[in-house]
Amino acid sequence: MQPPSEHVHWLFATGILFLGLLLLSEAIVGRDVWRRRPWRAYLWPSLLFGLGVFMWPVMVFFTNSTVHMLAHSAWAQTMMVAGAAELGLVSGKLRGEWWKLAVPVAFAVSGAAFLIHEANPWFYARSAFVHHVCGWTLLVGALFPLGAAFKPRSWVFNTGFALVFVAVAVALYTSRDVAPIFGHLNTSAGVAHR
Amino acid sequence: MRRLGVLILLALALPGTAWAHATLEQTSPKIGQRLAVSPRMVTLTFDQSVRVLSNGIQVFDAKGRIVSGPPRASLSDPRVIVAPLRRLPKGAYTVRWATISNDSHVGRGVFTFGVRVKAPPINQAYGASGPTTSEHIVRWLYFVSLALLTGGLGFRLLVLRGPLAPATERRFYRVTGIGVVAALEVGIVAFLLRAEDALQLPFTAFLYGDLSPFAHTTRLGQAFVAMELGFAVVAALLFLAWLTGRGGLLWLAFVLSLGLGSGLSLASHQSDDRGWLPSFADWVHLSAATLWIGGLLSLGLVVWNDRQLRRTAFWRFSEIAGPLVALVVAAGVYMSFKRFPAPHDLWDVGYGQLLLVKLGLVSLALSWGAFHHLVVRPRLDRPAVARHLPRSLAGEATVAVAILLLAAILVDSKPPAKPSNTVLQGSGSALPSAVVRK
Repeated sequence: MQPPSEHVHWLFATGILFLGLLLLSEAIVGRDVWRRRPWRAYLWPSLLFGLGVFMWPVMVFFTNSTVHMLAHSAWAQTMMVAGAAELGLVSGKLRGEWWKLAVPVAFAVSGAAFLIHEANPWFYARSAFVHHVCGWTLLVGALFPLGAAFKPRSWVFNTGFALVFVAVAVALYTSRDVAPIFGHLNTSAGVAHR
Repeated sequence: MRRLGVLILLALALPGTAWAHATLEQTSPKIGQRLAVSPRMVTLTFDQSVRVLSNGIQVFDAKGRIVSGPPRASLSDPRVIVAPLRRLPKGAYTVRWATISNDSHVGRGVFTFGVRVKAPPINQAYGASGPTTSEHIVRWLYFVSLALLTGGLGFRLLVLRGPLAPATERRFYRVTGIGVVAALEVGIVAFLLRAEDALQLPFTAFLYGDLSPFAHTTRLGQAFVAMELGFAVVAALLFLAWLTGRGGLLWLAFVLSLGLGSGLSLASHQSDDRGWLPSFADWVHLSAATLWIGGLLSLGLVVWNDRQLRRTAFWRFSEIAGPLVALVVAAGVYMSFKRFPAPHDLWDVGYGQLLLVKLGLVSLALSWGAFHHLVVRPRLDRPAVARHLPRSLAGEATVAVAILLLAAILVDSKPPAKPSNTVLQGSGSALPSAVVRK
């Protein structure tokens, strides 16, 4: 028995929102204060890595179209790779500067996956609109972690990086076609079945 | 800016259509159902309203004749489309459907059902084809990635044991990391190629093809689900072992990846209708082969630059290679007996001829391994032997990887059919399976 896709979107929205809030806290108090307790440095990369692992069940169980399956697979892999690279950097196991580009590249690939798997224009439907919002937020938002890779103490880059996650989380929360809290209002969606 | 903000708020606040395109929620007859009587119509229920195409529902019998009438939308529910059926005689049937959803995407899919017979698997639906050359190559790549991953892990835990020099440890994680990523990626490609065989759609239409019946009702689909999830966990364990330096996580990853190899056995012809033992033998055959070939590859890729370690590693690997090869051969001989109803199928049937070529290559690899074990190992300290050994190992590994290619083609091919009981009873003699099939 599969949960409705919107519930899955909300679950991931919650994880991504939490991730964004962690990053926002770090940006507000500053890296030095945030990392007074060393485990805090591992929090958001671990969460990103974990979200990537949990995206695999979505990939294999929601196979109603090839393009969606591939998009979910792309998100699973980019989240795992970006989280793993950040964990490697934080722990000191990775020392190469290039690994700092893993997160901006992951943003760009994830944004592209949103845009490529949505074949309709912005205002065609809510789903199309939300896909475009997520896609462009991640694509343009990739500039923030890119900037933070070169200026790690920049308040603007770090805050922007955190807000990208918050924006994507809000967009994912709007996936609510037949959500009980808003009712089933659109006639083109057929007879309410829940 | 304010206008943009208002637009965004409006778009998010107002109700919208479903997330993405229409999803098939229910069918009648059910996917893969065996019916006692002929159904009167085929009904498809989606999660949102759909428009009907002229070929929206086509039902084919086993000979490819269309047995359905023109499809139409249900009058009571715009999410439902139906197509009438003529009275269906006993047999297997294939339903191919196509609809346009609200977002203008054309969704397509296929499923099967049977009237007084078992429904065929979806990859044997009318119009399905394959396996193709691409699929043979992809399955071969799958075997190679399993060898790198499972064999690499086995080599690290059973042969190298203990702590390693940092450079050697890095090479180990690189090799097994490539193995697990390849297993995930190649698994997706293999699944899509097989689904494409059943759906038979051009590329752009295939992008919106419904893979659910294939993923959830076929053995290959179920193996795909289990193996992708499993290898994602193995990837996480491998990463955490690298990050934390905890060897216990490597053992977990090793056991899990060894078990996941059974997915290939359960999805192969070995598990058709021959009980659990052939599937188990196939898994033993595959596991031992990946440990052997993966060990050979690791010896060259991970250890050979470490002058202090390579002698010990070569010595220890020689000790476990013997039992592994014995397992490969024993399980292979057992499966050959199960697969070939008559000995002359080995040279009469294409499958048998391919197996003979594979056996020839296995013999070559075994002789090469025996030469390393009996001749090279006692002389390993001689500089000339140590100088030429890497090339010799690379040669043995190349033969082993070629064996995997033949194994991939064999797994994708259908073995000779078992002799039909009725023919046997009627004639009183065992006819060659090739004749029975005709």
